[in-house]
Amino acid sequence: MMELLILGMTLIVFLSRYLFLEPLLPIRPGPRLLHFLSFSIPAVLAAVIAPMIFVQNQTLQLEPMNPYLLGAVIAAVCMKLTGKTLLTVTLSLVVFMLSRFLHSSG
Amino acid sequence: MTDTVSPIQQMLAGTRMILPLTLAVIPWGILVGAYGVESGLSALHTQLLSLSVFAGASQLVAIGMLESGAGMASILLTTLLITSRHFLYGLAMRQDVQCLPVRWRAALGFLLTDELFVIRHAQSQHFCRWFLIGAGFSFYAGWNLATLAGILAGQHLPDLSTLGLDFAVVAIFIALLVPVLSNRPAWVCVFASAFTAVLTHLILLPGGLLVSMLAGMGCGYLCSRYRGEKST
Repeated sequence: MMELLILGMTLIVFLSRYLFLEPLLPIRPGPRLLHFLSFSIPAVLAAVIAPMIFVQNQTLQLEPMNPYLLGAVIAAVCMKLTGKTLLTVTLSLVVFMLSRFLHSSG
Repeated sequence: MTDTVSPIQQMLAGTRMILPLTLAVIPWGILVGAYGVESGLSALHTQLLSLSVFAGASQLVAIGMLESGAGMASILLTTLLITSRHFLYGLAMRQDVQCLPVRWRAALGFLLTDELFVIRHAQSQHFCRWFLIGAGFSFYAGWNLATLAGILAGQHLPDLSTLGLDFAVVAIFIALLVPVLSNRPAWVCVFASAFTAVLTHLILLPGGLLVSMLAGMGCGYLCSRYRGEKST
């Protein structure tokens, strides 16, 4: 039973990833579709992180001092100013941890 | 593809490029492993999920549904909803891999996670299959080792979400996002996608990530057309 479920999930996930890589599939993305697809990167990045920043325990969290929001703003500003990925991740992680600590103890 | 660089060097370059994401995904892998055995799955089945399905969100949701006694059909349907955003990645990468032999396409298809797709586009140089296979495989290895660690640690694990390591994903994705935000359509895309993602998250829509991506891409595209940019 469990093996069957894992097999089923494997097939579904693999097919979703592989399907459009298959050349025999008679589809050629036209210029409009490619233009549309060019937005997939910002779209997926935003769709993954937005709920992590703004939703905690299934409730909307719009407080400006929300540690996730604060960390995210620091990361965005630091990346914009320096362009250095490692510095951005480290600095914002430290800010996040600190603000979380202050948040929980304050 | 430049032939002056050997395949091994390309694979290492890919491994290095995806390394921050591999590290960031470790807590999630541990979570999947620990949650799996905790919810009553055998260690083998939990590891098998990571080895063969290799899709974090689908794995977590499936384990959760199993725990609450959901049937196979509903779990498979939910998997399809969650995983359907991958159709978009395949479509976007279609032209890159058309001329590759089937075993390459299958391997890259199997390894085509959100992270690999993002890395493929962060890579400034021309498409290189060795680079991608190196990145994809090292990420796969990291995910599975993390799952194993989670299985071994089991219930002895502190609650990982309280450690705040999930923020690492936010920080890395923002670092990847900022350079892309060079024009208004990209901003529109990000706002629409983020807004829809928060909304679908709050109402617990299973395919929320796909819906949000489509909303973001649609708004970005429309904005770009409205500004008179032609599709080339």
